[in-house]
Amino acid sequence: MSYTLRGRFESRLAALLPLLLGCCVLTAILHQWWPIELCALMGAVGLAFDLQAWRLLRYQPAWAMVPLGAVELGAMLAVVYGFGLQPPLWPALGLFGAGWLISVVLAQAGYPLLRLSYAEDGGELGRFGLVAAGAVALTLAGSGATYVAQLPPVVHLSTGVHQGPLVIRQREILQGAPGAVVKGGIVVAHDDVQIRDVTVIGGTNGISVDGYRNTVIDGVTVQGAKLDGIHVRLGGVIIRNCTVDMLGNPRGQGIDISFNMDLGMSMVEGCTIVGGQEGITTHYSMTDVMNNDISRTTGEAISVTEMSMGMASHNTVRDALGVALYCNDRSMCMFDHNTVIGTRPDVASGLRTRRGLALLVNFQSEGYLWQNRLVGNPVATSAVDNSILRRRSTPSW
Amino acid sequence: MLASLAGSTSRPAEPASGTASPRRRHDAFRARAEHSALRPRAPGTAPETRGRVAIVGSGLAGFTAYQTLRRAFAPEEIAVFGTDADPVATWRVRAAAIRQREMRSESDGHCLPTSFPGLAFSSVRRRRSLRPLLETVVDRYHPTVDEFLAHVERLRERSGWDESLVLRRVERVRAVDGGFDLDGERFQHVLLALGHPGLNMPEELRGDPRVVHSYEPHDYAGTVTVVGAGLAAATEWVNALAAGAEVVSVRRREPLRRPLNVPRHYFSRRGLAAFHRLPPRERIERLRTLSTPSYPPGAKWDEPLARAAGEGRFRVEQSPNGSAQVICATGFLRGFRHDPLLTRLVAEHELETEERWLVLDSDSAVPALSDESRTLAVAGAPAQWAFPAADTLAGAKYAAHRFLRRISTCRTR
Repeated sequence: MSYTLRGRFESRLAALLPLLLGCCVLTAILHQWWPIELCALMGAVGLAFDLQAWRLLRYQPAWAMVPLGAVELGAMLAVVYGFGLQPPLWPALGLFGAGWLISVVLAQAGYPLLRLSYAEDGGELGRFGLVAAGAVALTLAGSGATYVAQLPPVVHLSTGVHQGPLVIRQREILQGAPGAVVKGGIVVAHDDVQIRDVTVIGGTNGISVDGYRNTVIDGVTVQGAKLDGIHVRLGGVIIRNCTVDMLGNPRGQGIDISFNMDLGMSMVEGCTIVGGQEGITTHYSMTDVMNNDISRTTGEAISVTEMSMGMASHNTVRDALGVALYCNDRSMCMFDHNTVIGTRPDVASGLRTRRGLALLVNFQSEGYLWQNRLVGNPVATSAVDNSILRRRSTPSW
Repeated sequence: MLASLAGSTSRPAEPASGTASPRRRHDAFRARAEHSALRPRAPGTAPETRGRVAIVGSGLAGFTAYQTLRRAFAPEEIAVFGTDADPVATWRVRAAAIRQREMRSESDGHCLPTSFPGLAFSSVRRRRSLRPLLETVVDRYHPTVDEFLAHVERLRERSGWDESLVLRRVERVRAVDGGFDLDGERFQHVLLALGHPGLNMPEELRGDPRVVHSYEPHDYAGTVTVVGAGLAAATEWVNALAAGAEVVSVRRREPLRRPLNVPRHYFSRRGLAAFHRLPPRERIERLRTLSTPSYPPGAKWDEPLARAAGEGRFRVEQSPNGSAQVICATGFLRGFRHDPLLTRLVAEHELETEERWLVLDSDSAVPALSDESRTLAVAGAPAQWAFPAADTLAGAKYAAHRFLRRISTCRTR
């Protein structure tokens, strides 16, 4: 087949159309945008190759669809991972494969049956091509409009002190102005809530999420909570760039994420936590704890416990009492590239397991270590009570 | 309309259907069509305007065009004028003469209006092997001549070809108001699929008793000179060598090696758009370049020639010399002036020409005689001005597709 550039565009866009409709259905079912993102990306990558490379091919035999498809797949994956889109790999490959197969079948059989002069016209589809291109554009525009329409409303919290507790009962972005303070805590009582740039003072918990999904807490400061700084139960959460001050609270947790194993991954990233019994703790949870700075805790600085499965990497822990990094109770933990400095022995407890360990793996847990810096700690690592401690870059799971 | 034309008292019997052999059906149709064609018109009556579509020429180009037209017209709405009911009657003889076993064309070298499904699919069923499909993916599949002939026969049976056929040679096409007069019958849209005007024989060899054209039935003598360098010549070299002859190849220029008659991009708008933009002089030069003789690359050709050359049984010379037999694989007469109908058409309507080419629109229509109310288009060899590989099946389809598109959008259709 000797394609014209227009023929390549029209054939590609017409083949993209059924896939795009499938992606729309998939997006509606999954409530996730990656299928449409991937479809749009497939189209964009293909059109870019058509414009820059494939149009130089005077003749394209049928077998060339295999290497050309492989090149486009490679480029698409590079863009996907380069921009951090990260759709699930196998479904994404399946989607690409389906798209490729549709285009092959249409190019070899469908279009020639649909349009008598398809081959002579160099792949151009006439009015149908224009309609298909328009339909693709409309579908993508519609998807974009839907995405924008579904964005939660932004509620601005003005500068100054607002008396709480503040209960959020709708999908929204609570955007704090500089100097916006809530006294008495914030309670998240709806899915898809985002809290940004707010200072929370006091409250039973500084911020509480109990049973709601897709919460994003970004750039908040929490001080003086009676129990936990950020308290998450049965909900998926992303916590970024927070500051939690728990000094003077010997029993509270800086961040406690628990019982959300079946709700997918949660994440705590870029937070600074001072004081409290535990800095960051997860119970029965899959949470990644990355790039946090934790100091002066009285229990454990980072605790992955109660059948949790988690990764703690690139964190810095200073001046923890008893234990800095803790993997406990049949949990599976990966600790890599962490820095632990100056853990102090908890002499008052009288426990051997709190004698100033940088890392402790306890009670039938699996701990994996890789390139951690453990400096000035009385005991570097220990695995007790049928636990396993291995040094390797990738965990077993 | 064809039925009414054939409705006199001495009308020959309807052709046998069902299990009748192709030969018998062919003969029956021929008798019926000749009868209707020769029936004298009542004196003083005006020529009848059928208001439909006619194809002049019942060879492969006409047959291929007919298959396309059948997408939009019933058999009784199309009239095909020709001298033989069998669309491959001439081609079959020529292929047999050069002992051609495989088509040069690939899977889509068929007479169906769409390129899919190609002949590879029917070969899969016939050969009970997926090999044809795999070969077609890498452009290595070539249907056998037998497969192609069977395909034509199947299409002929199911397309209504014989219903549309008028066995009569059209001598003159004349433009009239709203259409064209074909020897007394009027049609709104006419496609000329006249085929090659005749076999080309070098002047210096005319009258030589040793000479035979490659497309005429022949055996091989002990020493054979093959004049020419295209696919027919290459086929003759190989076949004559296989028959034990000593072969001399006489050629004016070295043949090109390419899979198809012209580079592949000239089969689509990719190459045609630039070709159509060429000014006349350059287009003529391009057509001359593309007419350079060629045959496909491959060991199938090279190995027997190399082996024979090693044995001293194959060589290239400048003249036939003393061979016992001279085979002219020199193709066909070229140019519209060799065709009486085209010559007359051009002369009577002062149509534009360039050297030996009839000037056509890019859609193969004759520009001076085609407008919104009528169409005169050309398919096959004389349509090279619009499609360089016009004398191929792809060329016939190109002209047919555009003819159909044109008449489908005609406001008075």
